[in-house]
Amino acid sequence: MFTVRPLKPTFKSYLPPLQTDVKKSLHPPVKKLEATLLPGEIVVNEVNFVRKCIGAEKSPDDLWGKLICTNFKVSFVTHEALAQPRFQVSNRLLGEHDIPLACVDQVVTVNDAKGKKKVLGSNQKLKFNPSEVILYCKDFRIVRFSFDEAGPEGAKKVCLAIAHYSRPADPQLLFGFELIGTRYLGSTEDGLNAARPTGGSQTPLFACSSDWDREIKRTGAAEWRVCSVNQGYGVSPSLPEFFVVPASLADQDLRQYAEAFSGQRLPVWCWNHPNGSALTRMADITDPLQQKRLDQRICNAIIKSHPQRGDVHKADLDKNLPSIQEVHNSLVRLRHICVMDPFEETEEKWLSSVENSQWLDYVRTFLKHSCDVVYILEGLNASVILQEEEGRDLSCVVSSLVQIMVDPHFRSLSGFQGLVQKEWVMAGHRFLDRCNHLKKSDKEESPLFLLFLDCVWQLMNQYPSAFEFTETYLALLSDSMWVPVFSTFLFNGPKHHADTMHDFLEDKKITLGEGEELCLPPVWDWSQQLSVRDQALFNNPIYVGKAAPYAHNGAVKSFRRTKHKTWSSTLRGAPPSQTGWSSTLRGTPPALARNGLQGSQGTLPRRNSLAAQLKSDLFPARDVPEGPSERFARDWFSGPADPQGLLLPQLLPSHLALWRLYFLRWVPEAVIPRGGPVTAVHAVSQLAHEIETLQSQLRRYKGPASSSSPGGGGTPRASPDGGRPPPGTPPPAAEPSRMFFKAGSLYEPSPPPPEFLSSSFPFSPVGNLCRPNLRGTPISKLLNGAKTWLSTETLAAGETA
Amino acid sequence: MDLLADVALLPGEERVTDKELIYICPFSGALKGKVFITNYRLFFKSTEAVALTLDVPLGVISRVEKMGGASSRGENSYGLDITCKDMRSLRFALKQEGHSRRDIFEILSKYAFPLSHSQPLFSYLSQEKYEENGWSIYKPLEEFRRQGLPNERWRITFINKNYELCDTYPTILAVPYRASEEDLRRVAAFRSRGRIPVLSWIQRDNQAAIARCSQPLVGMSGKRNKDDERYLELLRETNGTPKLTIFDARPSVNAVANKATGGGYEGDEYQNAELIFLDIHNIHVMRESLKKLRDIVYPTVEESHWLSSLESTHWLEHIKLVLAGAIRVADKVSGGKSVVLHCSDGWDRTAQLSSLAMLMLDSHYRTLRGFEVLIEKEWLSFGHKFASRIGHGDKNHADQDRSPIFVQFIDCVWQMTKQFPTAFEFNERLLATVLEHLYSCRFGTFLFNCESMRELNEVRSKTVSLWSYVHSSSTRYLNPFYTPESGRVLYPVASMRHLELWVSYYIRWNPRIRQQDLWL
Repeated sequence: MFTVRPLKPTFKSYLPPLQTDVKKSLHPPVKKLEATLLPGEIVVNEVNFVRKCIGAEKSPDDLWGKLICTNFKVSFVTHEALAQPRFQVSNRLLGEHDIPLACVDQVVTVNDAKGKKKVLGSNQKLKFNPSEVILYCKDFRIVRFSFDEAGPEGAKKVCLAIAHYSRPADPQLLFGFELIGTRYLGSTEDGLNAARPTGGSQTPLFACSSDWDREIKRTGAAEWRVCSVNQGYGVSPSLPEFFVVPASLADQDLRQYAEAFSGQRLPVWCWNHPNGSALTRMADITDPLQQKRLDQRICNAIIKSHPQRGDVHKADLDKNLPSIQEVHNSLVRLRHICVMDPFEETEEKWLSSVENSQWLDYVRTFLKHSCDVVYILEGLNASVILQEEEGRDLSCVVSSLVQIMVDPHFRSLSGFQGLVQKEWVMAGHRFLDRCNHLKKSDKEESPLFLLFLDCVWQLMNQYPSAFEFTETYLALLSDSMWVPVFSTFLFNGPKHHADTMHDFLEDKKITLGEGEELCLPPVWDWSQQLSVRDQALFNNPIYVGKAAPYAHNGAVKSFRRTKHKTWSSTLRGAPPSQTGWSSTLRGTPPALARNGLQGSQGTLPRRNSLAAQLKSDLFPARDVPEGPSERFARDWFSGPADPQGLLLPQLLPSHLALWRLYFLRWVPEAVIPRGGPVTAVHAVSQLAHEIETLQSQLRRYKGPASSSSPGGGGTPRASPDGGRPPPGTPPPAAEPSRMFFKAGSLYEPSPPPPEFLSSSFPFSPVGNLCRPNLRGTPISKLLNGAKTWLSTETLAAGETA
Repeated sequence: MDLLADVALLPGEERVTDKELIYICPFSGALKGKVFITNYRLFFKSTEAVALTLDVPLGVISRVEKMGGASSRGENSYGLDITCKDMRSLRFALKQEGHSRRDIFEILSKYAFPLSHSQPLFSYLSQEKYEENGWSIYKPLEEFRRQGLPNERWRITFINKNYELCDTYPTILAVPYRASEEDLRRVAAFRSRGRIPVLSWIQRDNQAAIARCSQPLVGMSGKRNKDDERYLELLRETNGTPKLTIFDARPSVNAVANKATGGGYEGDEYQNAELIFLDIHNIHVMRESLKKLRDIVYPTVEESHWLSSLESTHWLEHIKLVLAGAIRVADKVSGGKSVVLHCSDGWDRTAQLSSLAMLMLDSHYRTLRGFEVLIEKEWLSFGHKFASRIGHGDKNHADQDRSPIFVQFIDCVWQMTKQFPTAFEFNERLLATVLEHLYSCRFGTFLFNCESMRELNEVRSKTVSLWSYVHSSSTRYLNPFYTPESGRVLYPVASMRHLELWVSYYIRWNPRIRQQDLWL
């Protein structure tokens, strides 16, 4: 299929390629170029004879085509195809060169001749004719279009349109609404149903009481109940209509308490540990007069719901974790060094630059804090309240990480998706504001969800067989935030979702029929974006399958653990304030409680200093001695890890890594051709696929007469498509393979990693990172290695051929 | 309590002494227990609740010191401080009565530094027997034949069969066909320590060759040597490379400075040749760098400014330069051009470059056996001074000749296995095992400075090869992801973005690391 010619290494400084192909620039193609539009999508402005920059300043690799701004995306259509080795997973909603408007972070227009540059906002004027426009994207891409052959007025109009339409004034203007509205009214038959309540995935959305009921049963949380006081959002505007509370608290009490909490966000249940300890979250109590009494009552209720009447510990997240703004600033710094700064110049100081971004520090802080919560639940057999001013940001990260570490269910694909629904979407995380979809306030913008995904990646990196899904899944999930079609990431909470939908229906004068519902699909309906084949990219070939169900017939089964210890005595010895924890029942003096780490001046929380004094004789060489939760962790680390049991991340800074696939996937210089972790995935996938095939063949031969192949007999033979049953065989054994990479055929050695595999797979830097200062960089090398332009479709075609 | 029950002694290993003392564990604090010393190892087992054992081959010890005096205060401040070559250090406290530590200090010194006490190394006492003889893994003629040599352009010469041409080279050498034995002798006079340019590897299809040597003896006066010039020209002509590339591994400043001591580099008088400096620093810089690395990982990992501390050790930066140099070599050769590599003496940086480039170019060296051959050939037979760099059995811990050049090479290989997880037949456990026995003195493989010394000391007949041991359980060292790909050239990305610290090796003594992550 490909001729093997190794790519050259990266050390050279490459001269810029020869000046633009003369023929090309003189005769840009004049064929008709049309944007592919989705239902409800309209062209706002377009300009022809635009050059999409691929390599250095001007290169023969550049593409000529039409730049189009629609109400959904910035589209570049071209008849040309690059002859480049490129593999880019394709999105059903987007063309090869398209960028959703929601993904555009900054629109920068440049006039080279005049040396002018302007960052365009909404409704702005542009006093010069742009010679090029650079789109800085939220997913770290940098895409550049040049207008040197385009009509100046047209170019200007498109730039202004992009700037304007990427800043919708109202959530209803986000494209998803247009899409479902048009689909509903036009009842288009494009296979993407508009009127469908769940979006057809198995993911529980936690919008109805039955999902919560099931979660209560699954975790064996007998003393907890689903309450519906918030139906119609009468009590709290940001809590879901159904949530779970201690069984001993009556609806009446809850209504009464609600007023005292910030945002009327009552304490709600997240999850139960098999030992009966509960993980809960709540907002600050705003009424100081009621604080003590309410705290007491809430805690008593939680204790009552604990089968062993275990203690309650409160974790003050605002005090111990970075603020959302700090997290945002950190990502801005990281983005700078990853994609904006020239590659070679940042090499020497790379490590300290990464450190200065503080991103990994924050990843570590969140993981560390989550571990501390795990210790309370698991080691102290006590319940935990995650407390945060509003309880809608930091607590989303911590509560979901805790559950992933303890409960293997959340490391399955559907479990993980349900977790995001439960702890983020339904818990009222302000996705709209944090994603800054309306670009209203930069102060509200914060990549907390990405930070969470990075934390999950760290766990995945340390325990590769514990997760059903891959890092590619995490990256694609993150990218989906910028496709404004999914209910998951567009709202500030379930009520906001409902209200916006209501207003939308009213404005569009849509009256839904009986039993009819119109809603945006959740991102979990992956067939909206990806082909079934590409969805196989999610499956981790070395996942250690599911263990016995977590709770069976209401009887709680404990997780598999190597051994169980109670650690309560160790923690009680130390004043809770210094561990960053306050045990509400013991009434910690507020002065001491404030002793926890305040703010963050580039440091991480210090460990228990009292223990240092007590044990200084025993720990002569350690400047920072262990706290009880660290001892708990160390004890856990001394045994073997069970991928289906408790997982604690290794928190030494030396063991946390930069998530290269996500942060460096667009950087041509950082691509390892035919290398990177994916090559191991490739090898194991082939093996897994071979096993799948053999198993299905076995089933066929062993199975009941009805399902065995009629003309069979003889020795099993591999069919050319990789073991699918020959035509005429009944379907039961023919489940689609879970593996993206398939073994060529049985009984033959697996083929080596194909040429399109790289450390960026399934993403490609080609055309996605065109730094303005990219001159004579190895992108040209990447381009010179040039052979095929691959998409998932051509791959699939190649496979059947 | 019998400590012997806890440790399986090796055949030939003998118990020397045991003693009750306190191990000052940097993680768990002071632990009472018993230490047990044999002619091969130091074994400690705690008698306290915290179960802890230490099993330290005496070969890894670089220094034993007494700490605290008779007058020192504190119960745990009188004892022994043991510094190891493998990143850790151990402290033992003894009761301050009599001369309790003198015996143990003397025994340790004697058995850890046998050469300084006119005693044999343990590998000469070992009675281990293995099915396969690892000494026969590398057969030079067979390896040349695999590369298609001799042929009409390259011949095999036995001129060095008595180590008369060069005492640090192997006996069997491949040289340009047209160079006579007399030529070789004359060239040897102009190359430092007689290490003339000889062939390390040749690409079958285009006959591009990697030759290695030491620096030319140009000196302050800028001496020329027509024979050397002609010899390199002959070398170039073997495959008609228009311009022979000479890679000088050193920074150009160092190369210039070497002129003062009679060395130097090839000048313009070498026609049809280009000289490229690779800016790799010398053994002293590497030693200091690893020392700094040790400071931030042992006993505890520097937590507050990990990445900038790591950066300031420059360890990864040196790794990057070595890898980048090897990539340039491999790139030239895969493009059909012959190259000559040297540094000063051609046994440190040159060995790193040639072996890494060969690993990139030739998939055979990425198999378990091929990798063993690579080490035997480029490192052992070409005289990397293992004895001086490691200091086997030698008490002189401050010897300026010591340097972790081979560790750095293994680290580079590890970086490559990280970037290409399916390209190598062996796994990281093999790499760690090689490094463990680089120090242990259990096997004869890494003893002495060169082939002639190993022959003189009858290493092959009197000691066991590390590869015998490896092959006795070779499945432990195999990579399950391995997908053979012959003919593929591997180009790792030598960028700080991808280089990482080999934590499972350098931070393996930290008890917070899961035991199962270790392979030793």
